[in-house]
Amino acid sequence: MEAATEQNKTVADGRKAGSFQIIVFKQGNEEYALSIDQIKEVVITPTITRMPQTLPYIKGVANIRGNIIAILDLEEKFNIKRPADQHTGNHYTLVVESEDFKMGVLVREVPNTLTISAADFDESMNIITDVTSESNYVRGIVKVQGRLIILIDIFKVIGQDVMAALRKNTAA
Amino acid sequence: MKKDQEYKEIFLAESLENFEEINRLLTQLEKHPSEKNTLHALFRITHTLKGNAAGMGFTGIAELAHVLEDLFGEVRDGNIVMDRPVFEPVFKGVDVLGALINAVRDNADVKYKGIKTKLEVIIRTKGIARSEEGRAAVGEAAPEVMAATEATLAVDGREAEETEETRIAFSDLVQVPVRKLDNLLNLVGELIIEKDRILAQAGNHTRGTNEYARLSRISADLQYSVMDVRMVQVGFLFNKFHRVVRDAAVVENKNVTLKLEGTDTEIDRNVLQVMSDSLIHLIRNSIGHGVESAEERQRLGKPAAGVITLRATGETDSVVIEITDDGKGLDYEKIKRKALSKGLITQDEADRMPVDELGLLIFEPGFSTADQVTAISGRGVGMDVVKKTLDSIGAMIRVDSKPGLGTTVRLTLPSSMAVKSCLLFEMQQDVYAIPLSFTEAVISLYKTNIHKAGGGLIANHLGKNIAVVFLKDVFDQDLEKHIGTNLLQKTFDEIHPEAKLEIVVVTFNNRTVGFVVDKLLQQKEIVEKPLMKPVDRVKFIGGVTILGSGNVCLVLNVPFILQFIFGLYVQGRSTKGITLN
Repeated sequence: MEAATEQNKTVADGRKAGSFQIIVFKQGNEEYALSIDQIKEVVITPTITRMPQTLPYIKGVANIRGNIIAILDLEEKFNIKRPADQHTGNHYTLVVESEDFKMGVLVREVPNTLTISAADFDESMNIITDVTSESNYVRGIVKVQGRLIILIDIFKVIGQDVMAALRKNTAA
Repeated sequence: MKKDQEYKEIFLAESLENFEEINRLLTQLEKHPSEKNTLHALFRITHTLKGNAAGMGFTGIAELAHVLEDLFGEVRDGNIVMDRPVFEPVFKGVDVLGALINAVRDNADVKYKGIKTKLEVIIRTKGIARSEEGRAAVGEAAPEVMAATEATLAVDGREAEETEETRIAFSDLVQVPVRKLDNLLNLVGELIIEKDRILAQAGNHTRGTNEYARLSRISADLQYSVMDVRMVQVGFLFNKFHRVVRDAAVVENKNVTLKLEGTDTEIDRNVLQVMSDSLIHLIRNSIGHGVESAEERQRLGKPAAGVITLRATGETDSVVIEITDDGKGLDYEKIKRKALSKGLITQDEADRMPVDELGLLIFEPGFSTADQVTAISGRGVGMDVVKKTLDSIGAMIRVDSKPGLGTTVRLTLPSSMAVKSCLLFEMQQDVYAIPLSFTEAVISLYKTNIHKAGGGLIANHLGKNIAVVFLKDVFDQDLEKHIGTNLLQKTFDEIHPEAKLEIVVVTFNNRTVGFVVDKLLQQKEIVEKPLMKPVDRVKFIGGVTILGSGNVCLVLNVPFILQFIFGLYVQGRSTKGITLN
């Protein structure tokens, strides 16, 4: 977290108009990010209780400060292979919250906060989307300091599957 | 005695509210005498007040409210003009009414006969103005009344001095939105969970848990107090059914009266709310299908008016609501034929099915034995919705019927949805809970006691054959995979031949199943929380709770799991049917 705040400070001096903060975390070898306003807190992953009848990437539910929330594994969702040298497990959970959803995303390292300017953010969608997904959960690509960060909308990721599951249920 | 006191408090609160409303409306009417709506409202409120007071046995309030109601009725019909001379005694009358209501609390002696007589005179003489002219005539018509008026007014004059001083009355009751109560209960739930956590830690300590005995007691007391606050009397809901019965009877052109019993039985407000629509449906169904027409009843030697009885009785952990009609009873042969034609059961099953299971068939989707569809019953939708609603709160249904004598639908409802006694067990390192209301027994069997039969497993328990299911198989099943390929026998095939199995026998609506679990833990009172998005559509799990360890424990939705398991059998059967063709 210290690194994150340092980064914040350096960027804060030369803050341009239209800059925003993102939370960066690693999934496999790629860097993913969420907009900071979708994130409530970062906690050490509590014990997860598995839940039947759920999609495979929903690892179960856990108790975070008295709230029982679903825990997601995005690496599984995005089919990202975990590097062989990293067997450390998912130590941290990003708690994300919206009006409809409250859930946790598993991450292996402490996520960083990063302030990026609008100029570093590329929204043009030259990304090949999954045929089955109706809306794209990738909001854009952030290029900063030679890094390539994929900014996603976590609620679109889960929203699609909930809708798909709903369709399946009504069809059955 | 305590109940009486509670009734009295509720009456007092309602009446004071009515009284304030009357005052407000009356002032409004004085400013705008032509407002018909105000007058109608006044009429209604005095009527309600009269009814409530009469029900409670407060004759004074009832009589005075009755006179006021009559007066407002006359004004509404245009027989009396509400002018200043009329307003004065009316306001006076309302003041005395207020005094009477307050007297309920301190048993003060309030004289009301005088003002009552005066108001009666106004009604009889159609207003003050005309009464002045026709005084002589009135005097002849009711001399004793007039005399009494003068006399009692004189007495009241002295009494009035005391009541004259306007005081603002405060009710002893507070109205609270349910939302706030829900929040309170949630907080108590969290407190209990936290207490359990502390106790679990203390258990490892040398000092033990005695240290926390007081904490346990206070938090338990708090929990039950909050639960008690949420309790309402079923009469609150039952009384609304008079109208439902009347309307349904009119539509069906039948003569039906409603009898209420055990209206003071208490039940959690939320349970009652969830229940209310289902009850309406069941009552309509009794009127539509159960009660015969007046002519037919007379032919059968029954009283022309059918009687529907709503009866509530409180039991330790549950409330039983029975809807009884004295109609023709269920026609089991007709139900069998119908179920066969709809493909709900096979001929074989129909022959063997006991009557209480046949009775439950009326709750299957698309089932309706009425040959004609009427406005309120016979569409075949509704009863299955009732069942779904009742399943969702874990209510049990039982149908008893005697041909020619009537049908009783008995619903066993949880008296509170918040706290459940549960049996905790472990399966694949996760802890699950089964509400005790569903568990019948806990047994352990060897693998050799369990036999494969059809697509599943059976075992003998107390002379009865019960289905045995490995919960693991149910939970692990992949909906994408082909269903019906002996899915429920998978784990059974894998386990050691001499394995001893712990089995929880659960029963719901005549279906009994033994769930094989890894390890039985303990019995515990839990506070159930609903599932949140995105896992809120998981049907096998009804809710979650947090254990003393801080881990999450899943509460099984037994009605759905049983429905699912038996649904698998049905699906398996239909696929078999297709391959044979």
